[in-house]
Amino acid sequence: MLQKAVKIGHSSHVVTLDVRPQLLDALTTLRERVAAARFPLPLPGAPRARANRDELLAQLDDYLVPRLKAPEAPLLAVVGGSTGAGKSTLVNSLVGRQVSEAGVLRPTTRTPVLVCHPDDRHWFAGVRILPDLTRVWVPRQDGDEPAPPAEDDPVLRVETADTLPAGLALLDAPDIDCLVAENRVLAAQLICAADVWVTVTTAARYADAVPWHLLRTAKEHDATLVTVLDRVPHQVVAEVSLQFEALLAKAGLGDVPRFTVPELPESTGGGGLLPATAVAPLREWLAQQVRDSAARQGALARTAHGALGSLNSRLPELAGAVAAQYAAALRLTAAVDEAYESEHARVRERLQAGAVLAGDALKRWRAYPLDCGPSELLDAVSAGLETLLLCAVTAADERVDEAWRREPAARLPELAHHRDNGADHRIGMAVRRWQRVLEEYVEDEIRAVDRADKSAAPDPEVLTALLATALLGGRRASSAGEGLAARVGAHGALRLRDRGGRLLTAYLDKVLGAERERRLAPLDALGVHPEPQAELIAALSVLQKER
Amino acid sequence: MTAVTAVTDHTDHADRPDDDTASRAREDEEIWDDGLIARRVNENSENDEADGTGTPAGDEAPRPAPARSGRPRGAAGAGPSAYDKPSRYGRSSGYDSGHGSTSVYDIGASRETTALYEGPLRGRLDALRELIGLSRTRLDSTTLAEAGRVLDEAAARRRLSDRHTVVAVAGATGSGKSTLFNALAGVMISETGVRRPTTAAPIGCSWTDGAAGLFDRLGIPGRLRRRPLQGSDADAMEGLVLVDLPDHDSAAEEHREHVDRILRLVDAVIWVVDPEKYADAVLHERYLRPMAGHAEVMFVVLNQVDRLPGDAADQVLDDLRRLLDEDGVALGEHGEPGATVLALSALTGQGVGELREALGQFTRERGAATRRLEADLDAVAADLRPVYAAEAAHAPGRARVGLSEEAREEIADRRAEAAGATAVGQAAERAWRRHANKACGTPWLRLWRWYEARRSPYSSILRPTLRPPVDEEATARARVEHAVRTVADEAAAGLPTPWGQAVREAAARGAEGLPEALDELALRAGLPQGRPPRPGWWPVAVLAQAAMTLLQIVGGLWLGGQIVGLADPNLGVPVLLMLSGILGGPGVEWLSRMAARGPARRYGFEAERRLREAAAGCGRARVLDPVAAELLRYREVREQYVRMARRNASFG
Repeated sequence: MLQKAVKIGHSSHVVTLDVRPQLLDALTTLRERVAAARFPLPLPGAPRARANRDELLAQLDDYLVPRLKAPEAPLLAVVGGSTGAGKSTLVNSLVGRQVSEAGVLRPTTRTPVLVCHPDDRHWFAGVRILPDLTRVWVPRQDGDEPAPPAEDDPVLRVETADTLPAGLALLDAPDIDCLVAENRVLAAQLICAADVWVTVTTAARYADAVPWHLLRTAKEHDATLVTVLDRVPHQVVAEVSLQFEALLAKAGLGDVPRFTVPELPESTGGGGLLPATAVAPLREWLAQQVRDSAARQGALARTAHGALGSLNSRLPELAGAVAAQYAAALRLTAAVDEAYESEHARVRERLQAGAVLAGDALKRWRAYPLDCGPSELLDAVSAGLETLLLCAVTAADERVDEAWRREPAARLPELAHHRDNGADHRIGMAVRRWQRVLEEYVEDEIRAVDRADKSAAPDPEVLTALLATALLGGRRASSAGEGLAARVGAHGALRLRDRGGRLLTAYLDKVLGAERERRLAPLDALGVHPEPQAELIAALSVLQKER
Repeated sequence: MTAVTAVTDHTDHADRPDDDTASRAREDEEIWDDGLIARRVNENSENDEADGTGTPAGDEAPRPAPARSGRPRGAAGAGPSAYDKPSRYGRSSGYDSGHGSTSVYDIGASRETTALYEGPLRGRLDALRELIGLSRTRLDSTTLAEAGRVLDEAAARRRLSDRHTVVAVAGATGSGKSTLFNALAGVMISETGVRRPTTAAPIGCSWTDGAAGLFDRLGIPGRLRRRPLQGSDADAMEGLVLVDLPDHDSAAEEHREHVDRILRLVDAVIWVVDPEKYADAVLHERYLRPMAGHAEVMFVVLNQVDRLPGDAADQVLDDLRRLLDEDGVALGEHGEPGATVLALSALTGQGVGELREALGQFTRERGAATRRLEADLDAVAADLRPVYAAEAAHAPGRARVGLSEEAREEIADRRAEAAGATAVGQAAERAWRRHANKACGTPWLRLWRWYEARRSPYSSILRPTLRPPVDEEATARARVEHAVRTVADEAAAGLPTPWGQAVREAAARGAEGLPEALDELALRAGLPQGRPPRPGWWPVAVLAQAAMTLLQIVGGLWLGGQIVGLADPNLGVPVLLMLSGILGGPGVEWLSRMAARGPARRYGFEAERRLREAAAGCGRARVLDPVAAELLRYREVREQYVRMARRNASFG
């Protein structure tokens, strides 16, 4: 039995799935690219893109890569459907003993159960497929309580039954419309890992939207599909099955194998098995897929090619979402840049106009030197500069807030701006440092002048105050420039003003640049780059070439 | 032209089951062929017709006489409030799309229903309307859309009969909604079958007459309005209007739209679930969880218990209760308000009697419409909470919204600084003292100072010989801007975003002309022009100083005279004179400086105060007042919100 299955597996490898190492390489690269894609910004399409990415990753890990690596592995048939469709009862009946818990309370199956022939156990024991599910082993004694999963990690229960033909494994998935959201995700992941999709619906449900979503997805993925119409009361078998057939035909799924299982008292009861005759056709069909190598190859190849083909549309969608993320990040950055640039321009314009020498500073300047000392003047002028810079920074932040309020991507809590973030402190430090460097310049200049006339060495404090006033006062402070020239000479004054002006520009750039960087830091930390988009598309094109 | 439209319009209604009135209307139409009049007549007959719907032939429901006597429509306005005002909010509600006029219901219903909407609900609805009116300009219309819709629905429901309770039967495909509907009505009204989905359009069934308006509102056409089997229980279920809905989970999209639309309009809902589908995610996530607040007007029945063996029915029922509890639906057990959960089998009739009894009791109470609206209001209040209620965590220790005294002080300081008030004060004080020193100083000191000034190569440049030119833009723009921003932030702290934004905008608007205004003020109230005033004791001090100088000179001359020999040698007196002059000069100077300190400070303070007050007044009028007004408005809105959000609030 085992040998037969392996033999078939090998022969199918040669004939149907032309797996070249290049294809596997391309697929592995693609997998890495998909795993690297991130969607941190809360754009409208981001949750969907995240789900798509996870699904795609799961399908690559759980199905496509392992299947292409080991085409001889047993055929995996996943039984999926909505709650209460009787999936567990169906699996139990196919196996011939109770492997999966069935009952009247929903959701019944909380832990997916995989059943295989004892000889195939090694295929599923490791992490070849479904690597993120912890395997739970049930002792061979039947009828025991399943080992309770200790942690919240999703688990997969593996059962063996020699009533199943070797080379076939059945997986009882949780409900695809389960109330527990994680179970829904898990169900989708399991179904995507299947070679054969067994979709189960019931007489009461065959027109529901949920099973039809599943059927349409199967059609999109071009997977090998079987439908089971379960729990059909015997009075209406003919009518309902006709109806269902019509609906399937309408959906373009007319050629899908269809099995009808009648509603029996055992369907609802806890742990009852349906009589073998009720599930015999389905069992026979599944066995046929394993026995007949051509049918097996057909089933494998169809699902694998379907999955590969589906990448053609799913990857560009993912790449598009990545591009949208980058575009949003660019927009946010551009808003910050624009705000800070315009504030920078405004500050320069104000400095030119001598707006610092206003209010308190202006009054001090008018009172100087009779009623005001040089240190007071210097302090007032520096305070004016500090206020101007602080005002520019807060105004820029406000403009950024305003622009970001219209951007859905800016709703991320990390990007929120805190009003008292110490900008005043930082700016105060920068201005004080500027003042100190200015004093150093003045002392340099005095030392240069000293040699000529030792007795009349000008007071450095006065000089600094005059220099600062001349630099920041614009036209209003022209007499400060004259005072400076009278003390250190025209050349010296020019030199001082030149150096001081350059220093002011440098500090201005530094302060505004630093604040801009601070504002952008959380956005930069998200690491939204354009490269993943190109990489995804490139990986896809390599894959397409290798197929 | 108009006649034609009128005719077609009319024939739409002609296929109603009781064509007694319809045929009468057709006669009218033949007699009145004039377009305009015909239309008017049609309008009237339409109303008559609508009245008659659901009334068995010949059995006229007792109606107040004015309803038919062509009273002007304005009579509806005589009702207790102006709910009839059309609101621009809200999506189209089905009731007003089909018919040209609903005025008859207005009159009839407002007479009957005044009692129903008095009390707490009325107060809450009034508060909600106030709330929408006050915040329309501050919030975008999508935020208020749901609130507007609830208000509209409340007004619409109020106009209609309160003797009826509209109950919808909702559920998934194949759960047996129609079977249950038929079992309750006692006749085969709604088609049942194994084909899924079975029911495509809602079907209504009224136990009591006069529900036509309610059916119109639900958009159920006349051909789908039914009567139950006349039987013994007709009295028990009096006032019940049952609506069989299509499924909400089939592949047919339009069914779900029907369900969603009607669920917003009915007074109560019976959710029918079956053992196979009771845990469907779509039922719980799409309907039960969002409607958890409506538990009081909710029945959840587990149908098809005949399919379950043994005690499985109880297990499933318990599980259903657990799921409902997880959804947040309060269960009406032990006499507490909440959803009623029952198990039954519509096919075998098991448990239907219980549901019938519960429904009868529920209908007789006549409170469903009010409770439903209360629940709607609760939901609206919860939705609007982030827009109206300030997060307490955001501003710890702030008991009330508003500008604190410190904030006012701080902004006044900043603005004074922007105008340079402190500097002006100090400068004025120093100038005063300088003048005092100059006037009362010893002449020798002044001579020395003059010499120093002459010797210094550059002091002459800085000495302002004239008054400085009048400065343009003397106010520090950046300081003003910063001050306004700070005060706006302070005021907006802890406010919900839209209101914080409104406060900031008000402050920014006020700040627009502020620097210019401060410029002007600084000119008027700035540094005093000219010399500071001279106090009365100055001449005395100057005289004393002169006397001291004179003493020195006299003493010097006397000593000189002795040396030359002009005077008798007498060392004691002239030396004493000189000494007293030399010591007394600085002494007088010191005294006058001490004496000048007080007035100088007063003078400086005065200058500072004038500028500061002017600046503060300017800022108050332009910035603080608008901000305070905005805050007041927010407080008002919040009061309305609290009134609206609070259940069992006393009326008025």
